[in-house]
Amino acid sequence: MWQGNTRKILALVLALSLAISMFGLVGCGDDDADSEETDSTGTESTMETIKIGVHTSLTGGLADYGFAAAEGLKLAAEDFSGFEIDGVTYEIELIIKDDKGEPAESPVVAQQLVDEGVVAVIGALTSGNTNAAAPIYQTAGIPLVSGSATRPDLTELGFENFFRTCLRDDLQGQAIGEWAIELGSEKVVVMDDRGDYSVALGDEVIKALEAGGAEVLRQEGQEGDVDFSAQVNNIKAFAPDAVIFTGYHREAGLLFKQLTEAGVEAQFMGGDGIKSNDIGDEAGGAANVEGTLSTFGGFAQENMPGYTAFADAFMEATGKDAGPYAENNYDALGAVVAAMELAGSTDGADIISSLSEINYDGVQGALTFDSMGDVAVPGGGGTELIPRFEYKSGVWEFMN
Amino acid sequence: MAVRERIGNMFRRAPRWTFIVTALALALIFPLLEQYGIIETLWLRLGTRTLVYVLLAVGLNLVLGETGLLHLGYVAFFAVGAYTTAILSSPRLGYHWNFWVIIALAMFLSMLFGFLIGMPTLRLRGDYLAIVTLAFGEITRMTFNNWEPVTNGPGGIPGIYPPNLFGWVVDKPGEFFYLLLAAVIVVVWLLNNLKASRIGRAWNALREDEIASHHSGVRPMQAKLLAVVLSSGVAGLAGAIFAYYQQFINPTYFLFMQSTIVVCMVVLGGMGSIPGAIMGAVVLDTTPELIRQTFTKWLPNAVGQDFLPGFQTALQQDFDRYRMLIFGIAIVLMVIFRPEGLLPNKLWRRQSHTEDPREQANTRQHLFDVEEGTQDLEA
Repeated sequence: MWQGNTRKILALVLALSLAISMFGLVGCGDDDADSEETDSTGTESTMETIKIGVHTSLTGGLADYGFAAAEGLKLAAEDFSGFEIDGVTYEIELIIKDDKGEPAESPVVAQQLVDEGVVAVIGALTSGNTNAAAPIYQTAGIPLVSGSATRPDLTELGFENFFRTCLRDDLQGQAIGEWAIELGSEKVVVMDDRGDYSVALGDEVIKALEAGGAEVLRQEGQEGDVDFSAQVNNIKAFAPDAVIFTGYHREAGLLFKQLTEAGVEAQFMGGDGIKSNDIGDEAGGAANVEGTLSTFGGFAQENMPGYTAFADAFMEATGKDAGPYAENNYDALGAVVAAMELAGSTDGADIISSLSEINYDGVQGALTFDSMGDVAVPGGGGTELIPRFEYKSGVWEFMN
Repeated sequence: MAVRERIGNMFRRAPRWTFIVTALALALIFPLLEQYGIIETLWLRLGTRTLVYVLLAVGLNLVLGETGLLHLGYVAFFAVGAYTTAILSSPRLGYHWNFWVIIALAMFLSMLFGFLIGMPTLRLRGDYLAIVTLAFGEITRMTFNNWEPVTNGPGGIPGIYPPNLFGWVVDKPGEFFYLLLAAVIVVVWLLNNLKASRIGRAWNALREDEIASHHSGVRPMQAKLLAVVLSSGVAGLAGAIFAYYQQFINPTYFLFMQSTIVVCMVVLGGMGSIPGAIMGAVVLDTTPELIRQTFTKWLPNAVGQDFLPGFQTALQQDFDRYRMLIFGIAIVLMVIFRPEGLLPNKLWRRQSHTEDPREQANTRQHLFDVEEGTQDLEA
């Protein structure tokens, strides 16, 4: 009895579902899928809320960067809310989404923000996740402004909706290479950790070194390695004037410690990955890395007109020091708002086309974009923009 | 209790095909819901990714569930498939090969790779096999990471062209959903038939007792190798389509964590059960997102804007950081209360509830026991 009934019900359900699906397949062409809720508030009052997406990584290996980005953007949202276009005052609502730092999660987050109806997106945090999400934002016609995706080729892939408020790795790489040449190095070791960021930076360093006539030995480790004895042996045999590590501070500390212990007397250098005060402990004592030189992937915070005020506001809001790239993310939102004001519109396509024309005055200083979507520096700007630091008795000291 | 039993009975008595057809019909309708604006595109995109995991879980189930080999490097074959697509259909090296050729090549290469890895490693058992396969998985990823002239190393390969199936350009999530669904149907149908065949029985026998099955005429090496090679082919297929879908591939897609996730899907769904593997993949892949939507959107909307204002902003802004924690707790509870999996194989189900007479009666295990004579052996 039961079975007969169940069968009938199931058969009915199936027939219905098949009918619906057939109907759908036939009639799908002329149906407009987007039935966005209309904003009923906008007609009467002159206040409107616009949604800005934040595509970042709040969990995973770069959670501290994601936190800095999200908090920097919250400050920006407070500061920029209340801008006016055609007599309408806009409030900014941030939709913050976490992609766990996984590239496979990145498109899902992107789709979510598109579904939410955001007018612009700040993100993604890393170059890999930006690459994975950019096609979706491009299809949806939504501008994507990253404050921390520094991989050089990102702006060369033909995503006209992509902009960034951070400097590219190739500029920093060039700066490290030139610095090593300036110091009179003739034989230089360049070592990376086989990570996305590290390898790209290392490639650029080598280009600059070879242009300067230095002899280069390339070495590689893996992120998470603790023993570098093979590389140390190679480096010792090469007898370099400088050792440049383009990875992160944990491996850098261990490498420099092992090099010191092996009696290698060379100038230790690195990119912004090693610029952490923890490097002293990681190297088993600050003495092992005394005099190490590093650069940074952005403008010198010490030279930024608005940085002190921004850092104070960040400290007040979160109780923590402003983390890496927080100010770049702040400026990313600022640039989007500036573009909306310039275009007189909150439409994605209008924002994209006017982003390349804005002249926005932000935390980092006056900011414009070039035709590729990279930060264009007034007066051309070269490697002299890259700040230099020296590690002295436990802290990184700003040099220029 | 009565209600529960009645519902239970209804499900138990309904013939198997009804479940299959219902699941299929739901899957067929799913993309249309998005088209009519009933659900957001997010769910379609998530569903498409879930189907990739379904393929992986079904493929791994063959090795882990049916044959009982703890394989921790499964993502390596997924990577081989994905990189085949990425290299042969992207501006990276300037190739733009036909979709079918790439799919066939991806499956062939990952099967070949499975064979090469299987030959030496399948002589090991248990923990040793797990360790060696884990190492092979990492070696594969590092090879792709370091083979810069071809794979562009850690930078990955962007701009993968959409596939073209006899003039049908697949480039929307809904279209990929149907493409993957077709792949899932074919793979499940083939594997289900295999499961009921002689070799399928041989796999199950190997899982239960390798020595005894060897003495009963099963060649362990041959049977295991076949299982590993076939499942590698499934992973290669999944990888090839996944690369098309993502349009971008880099080595961080293929971390050891991905292998672990697929193992979890198979175990959580019920080892040795194809519906279980499918269920495990669906649940594990969608739950984090469901939790996020519940707490950041549905719950705040349901309780209203004025309900504990601070609580609501906390939900919306900070929840993203805690959803994985809740997810972890859910898995732990699951393992405690339903160790046999969501849709378990009947044999496993009985083994996990040996003290519960109801479960004993509910399964058809006694028939199996009589057929195989295990009762006599145990006695």
